[in-house]
Amino acid sequence: MRDEIHVETVSDPRLLGCIRSLVRAYAAGLGFAEERVRDIVLAVDEACANAIRHSYGGRNDGAVTIVLKSSEEWMELELTDAGAPAPPERIVRRELERPTPETARPGGLGVQLMYEVFDEVRFTPGAVRGNHVIMRLRRPERKDT
Amino acid sequence: MALELLSVEQDGQWVIRAKGEVDLYASPDLRAAILKAVSDPRGGVAVDLSQVEYMDSSGVATLVEGLKSAGQRKVSFSLLAPSQAVMKVLQLSRLDSVFDIRESL
Repeated sequence: MRDEIHVETVSDPRLLGCIRSLVRAYAAGLGFAEERVRDIVLAVDEACANAIRHSYGGRNDGAVTIVLKSSEEWMELELTDAGAPAPPERIVRRELERPTPETARPGGLGVQLMYEVFDEVRFTPGAVRGNHVIMRLRRPERKDT
Repeated sequence: MALELLSVEQDGQWVIRAKGEVDLYASPDLRAAILKAVSDPRGGVAVDLSQVEYMDSSGVATLVEGLKSAGQRKVSFSLLAPSQAVMKVLQLSRLDSVFDIRESL
C-alpha cells in the first residue's frame, strides 16, 4: 500500500464535513466516477457517525483514527475508535427490505449503507473496548488507450 | 456547507426549505423544524429538498420520523423535488418508495 493519509481526530460531529472533503478528494484522485465518489463519501461518513453515536454515545472528545490507503487495485479505508465495542447484531449485514410507511423505522441504516457501497467491510470490535473497521473497494479499471 | 432551514406557509401548508448538508451535526435542526411543523400542520407538511447537497442516514432517519409523526396525526407529509444526492441515499436505503415524492407543491 502507498499514498497513505492518517488522520487523528475526535468524535465531534462538527468535523464530519472536513472529513468528507478529504475523502472526496482522495477518492476522486483515484479515478472513481463522481457518483461513486459520492457513495464512498457517504459510507465513510456513516462509519464516522457510528463511532460518534454508538462507540462514544455522543461524546465529542473520543479518539478516532482514519487511514486512507490505496494500491493499484484497491482503495482502503480504516477507522479505529476506542469507545464501546459494537454489539455483533449491530454490525451484521442485513437484507434491506422495502418497508411501507407503517413498517419504516428510523435508524440502523448507517452500517447497511457501508455494506452497500464497499466491496468488503470487515468489523473487528475489541474484546473490552474499541472498534476497528476496514472498508475496501476495487478501483476503476484504467483506460490506457 | 452548513444547513440552512426556512419554514414558510405556502398554499395552505408548511413548506420547509432545506439548503446545504444534512449530516449527524445538522439533522437535529431539520428534525426540530419538521416536528414543529407537524405539530401545527395547517394543510400538510412538505420538505423541499431540492437544495440539499448531501444527506446521510441520520437525515433519512429524520425524514422517516417526520413521516411517522405526520402519519399518527393524519397529516400529509411530502418531499419536494429531492436533489440527486437525496434520491441516492433514499434508494440505497430502499426508502424511496415509502415517501410521497413530488416535483412541486
